[in-house]
Formats: sequence, C-alpha cells, structure tokens
Amino acid sequence: MPIFSRLPGHEGVTVPIIEARNLRKEFRVFKRREGVWGAVRDLFHRDYVTLAAVDGINLNVEEGEFLGYIGPNGAGKSTTIKMMTGILVPTSGEIVAAGLDPYRDRTRYTKTIGVVFGQRTQLWWDIAVIESFKLLRRIYDVSTEDFRQRLGLFGELLGLDELLHTPVRKLSLGQRMRCDIAAALLHYPRIVFLDEPTIGLDVVAKDRIREFLKEINRTMKTTILLTTHDLSDIEELCRRIAIIDRGRLLYDGTLDGLRRRLGRFNQILVHLHDRHSGLQLGQALGSGNGIQWEHLDELTCRIHYNREQVSSAEIIRKIVNQVPVRDIFIEEQPIEEIIKTIYSRGL
Amino acid sequence: MKDLLVILWHYLGQYAKTRLAYKADFLIASFTSILATIAGYGFVLVLFTRIPHLQGWKFEEILFIYGFSLMPMGLFNIISLNLYEFGDAYIVEGKFDRVLLRPLHSLFQVLFENFRLESLQEIIIGMAAVGYCSVKLGIPWDLTNLIEFPLLVFCGAVIYIFVFVILSSVNFWFEDRIGIAPPVYNMIAFGRYPITIYNAFIQFLLNWIIPFAFASFYPTVRFLGRKEFMREFYLIPLVAAAVVALALFVWDRGVRQYKSTGS
Repeated sequence: MPIFSRLPGHEGVTVPIIEARNLRKEFRVFKRREGVWGAVRDLFHRDYVTLAAVDGINLNVEEGEFLGYIGPNGAGKSTTIKMMTGILVPTSGEIVAAGLDPYRDRTRYTKTIGVVFGQRTQLWWDIAVIESFKLLRRIYDVSTEDFRQRLGLFGELLGLDELLHTPVRKLSLGQRMRCDIAAALLHYPRIVFLDEPTIGLDVVAKDRIREFLKEINRTMKTTILLTTHDLSDIEELCRRIAIIDRGRLLYDGTLDGLRRRLGRFNQILVHLHDRHSGLQLGQALGSGNGIQWEHLDELTCRIHYNREQVSSAEIIRKIVNQVPVRDIFIEEQPIEEIIKTIYSRGL
Repeated sequence: MKDLLVILWHYLGQYAKTRLAYKADFLIASFTSILATIAGYGFVLVLFTRIPHLQGWKFEEILFIYGFSLMPMGLFNIISLNLYEFGDAYIVEGKFDRVLLRPLHSLFQVLFENFRLESLQEIIIGMAAVGYCSVKLGIPWDLTNLIEFPLLVFCGAVIYIFVFVILSSVNFWFEDRIGIAPPVYNMIAFGRYPITIYNAFIQFLLNWIIPFAFASFYPTVRFLGRKEFMREFYLIPLVAAAVVALALFVWDRGVRQYKSTGS
C-alpha cells in the first residue's frame, strides 16, 4: 500500500515543480518461444503480454527539493524518469513539470531540465570535452559570458580543467561522469534528473560528485531527482526518498521517518575486556525477548534486539552489571537492511 | 530557422573534427567511395559498347540521367548516414534517448548528427557527366535551366531522404537492427534509367510506391526534350511535398511509440 507522508512545512505552500498523477506505463512484451522451432513459430504467431512497468504513481516534488528515488532493479525507476523527462509517453495519467507537459512541450521543456544517465554518456565520443560543451552551448542557446562563467565554476567544483581537452573516449569513468554532469547543467536547468550517477565510481569520485550536487542544490535551488542503488548517496544527499517496487510507490517521506517506521531493530556493539567474558555475556542476556547476538571476533560482540520488546537501557544495564566490558556502542539498523526488508517483504 | 542553420553549421564542424581524429579512415573511405562511383559509370559504358541505343535512348542521354541522379543521391548520402543505421544505433542501443533530451526537433538531430562528406565526390562526378553530355546533346544553359536544375536536385534529394525517413520510422514499431532500408537503397539504382525500359510492375513501383523515378529520371526529361513525360515532370514538387508530409507524420507517430531500452 502506498503511504503518503508529506514533509512537514511543505503543505500547500507552493505549486510543486513536478506533479505526477496516476502515472502509468504499459509495455507490450512478446513472449519468445524457445529454440529454433520456437523462433520459426514466432514468425507466424506471437503471444503478447501487457506489463505495467509503472502502475499508478502519484508524486509531487517541490522546487529546490533533493529527492532520492529508489527501488530494486526493474522496479520502474528508469521508466518513471523517462516519462518525467519526455522520452516516453505515459500510457495514462499525467505529468506537469515546470508548468509544461514533458512530452507535448518537449523542445521547450528540455531547456528547463538537465539529465544524466550513469550508464551512457551524453557527450560526443571522439572529440575533446570542451568541443561538446561548445556545441551544447549553441543547442541550449547559452550566451558566451554565461558559458565562460559557468565553465569556470564547474571547472573549479568538479576539477574539470585538465580534462577539457581530452577526447571523451579517453576519460576514465569518474572523469567522464564529472564531465557529463557539467554538460547537463550548462544551461542552468531548474530540474535535474540523475539516473545512477555514481554507478561504478570509487569513493573519491563519488564524494566529489556529491559535494557538487549539494552545492548546486543549495545555492541555485535546483530541484534534483536522483535514482541510485548506493544508499550512502541517499543518506548524504536526500532529504526525502520515494521507494518504488513493481511499478508502485511503497514509501514517500523522509529517511528518518522510514527508520522510525521500520527500524524496529537496533544493535549494540560490545568490546569485551577479555576473552573469557564472552560466556558471561551470553548468560547475562539470557534467551528470548527478541535478543540475538553474534561474535565478530574474540573480543567483539554485536547484539541485535527488537526495540519494541526490550529497551537499549535495559540491555546495557544487564551487560554492565555482569560482564567486564571496555566499550559499548549503540548502532542504528543500517538503512541498507531496512531497504532490503522492504524489497523482500514490502512495508 | 536561422538558429537551426547555425546549429547545422556547428554539427558540420563537430563532424569535421571527429573525422580528423581518424585521418586514415577518412582517406580510405573517400578512396573506396570514388572507386564505387567509377565502377557505376563503367557499367553504363560497357552497356553501350554492346548496344548503341536503349529503347531509343542515346548513350549521352542515359549518361545525362545517370550523372543527374548522382547529385540528389550524393546529397542524400552526405546526410543520410544516420538514417542508415537508425534501427541499430538509435533504437536498439537507445541512443534516441539522448536525442529526445535536447531542445531541437528529433529528426533534425538524427539527420544532421553525422555526415558522409566523401559522397561529395558523387556530386562532382555527376556534374562532370552532366556537363559533358549537355555539350554533346546541345542543351543550352540559359537562366531558366540554371535556376531549375538545382531546384530539381534539391527535390530529388528531399525525396530520397524522406523516403528513408519513412523506412527508418518503421524501426520504432519493429525494433530491428537492420530494417528494410538496405533493399530499398539498392532500388535507387533502378531510378537511374529511363522508366520505360522496365515492365509495368516496376514502373508502377518506381512511380507511386517508392517514387525514385521522381528523384532521378523525371527531373531530366525537360532538359532532354522528352515531351511525353511533362505531366510527371510538373508533379515532382508535389511528390516531394507528399513524401515529406507522410514522413513527418509517420516519424511523429513513431516517436510517440518509442520504447527506449531497459535501463
């Protein structure tokens, strides 16, 4: 069941910059028969199945928001993005973004958005990056002064300067992604769609891109919609997340809200004083009450417990009273695990 | 319109830079392209060493038609490279996504994102053939002819290009790497000869189904003084306009149909 919990303070203040209502996209897929004989039969008679990649989504995004759009592979993320960017025409439902219909007003609309697909580049493969930028300047009708000023800014924030004169095909993945992001933002779009911009990147490259996106979102009030499988992207960047699975919205709200709803399990990391204390710990905790524990090594244990059945205070009291310990850390359940639970079991 | 021309100019510049990145490739392509054109002429020459007349058409007349047809075809070849691999590169591999994300008409981008400048040689060789034959046949290059000729070349190129736009649009529905363009491309060769040498079926095909006769044969009939084809001659701009209108309609329908790739 989709749940709509709006961000506090956003109700009815502004018109959303993206408004999707009952968005639906069906694909007619034809079932291929197996084997050579099957292929021959396919020539004469094909069986089609209609699949809904996006199955009735309602989503509002306010100007200046940084929304994380997540879901397992094949959930409908890319299809949603492609409808919001005007690449695909919805089967039914409607989208109004920046006051326009992404498909019908395509040429006007594309001037107000920037799009980055992590999987493939927007740049011309064989020529220097700067040449691609110059052509994009023409296509998007950016004045020379603006162009120079923006190039300077992006060059500084993304470290592009030494890349500008390299052909795109010779760039590393991280370098190419930085150039792609700069290319998508040259015309200062109001909305930016990023489809897995950090896929396959190392920590340093990821960090640079995140810092840049944060800066753009903060200083220019650019609305950013990001899909990713890397939840650290989400934790660092997004104030709000929407989770989609099998074409339907499962959750729409803050990350903390999701934690509060689903983070029933907390964990406590205990550093023991000596290797004999392990047994004592087991006795102290007892069995039942939803408490489980595991040895990470001889001197470290992690205790998992259900917050609804037992409080952290109670567990700590038990441990400190009966077991010699050096350190105790209370950890929140990692967001990965919460998301994993949703993907496999739903909300 | 002016903006589009400016962007077209920059697309050309971009293309030149790309080609210069691979100089040897460009030289080899130009060389083989010239060879292919000369081989085409060779065929006409061989044909006429055997038979002095082809159903009442003299060698110079046939060569004139052949030379003329190379010009719209050369223009078409310069522009059409992307159409030729449309199903493959744009539809199956999803390059069309990027096209739809830019604030220009999608067909404009597909047509002008890549060129095949070595086909310029077809236009030059075509001009040489037309020049030679018009001296031999005594065709006067008065003002009317000078204005009319480039317009006819333009109409011919428009017919070729937009016929292939229609064929490429089919890829929107049937996602296929190759499509039906290659066999039709080979049919261009049929249009280079007087239409009357063919049987009724092929004549009908070249006139009204895939109107290549209007791109290469009928444009020459007034220069060659063949009054019997004047009705078709005046239809040339109409046929070109009809092909463009149909192509834009089918293309637009196709774009609505575009399914993109999985990721």
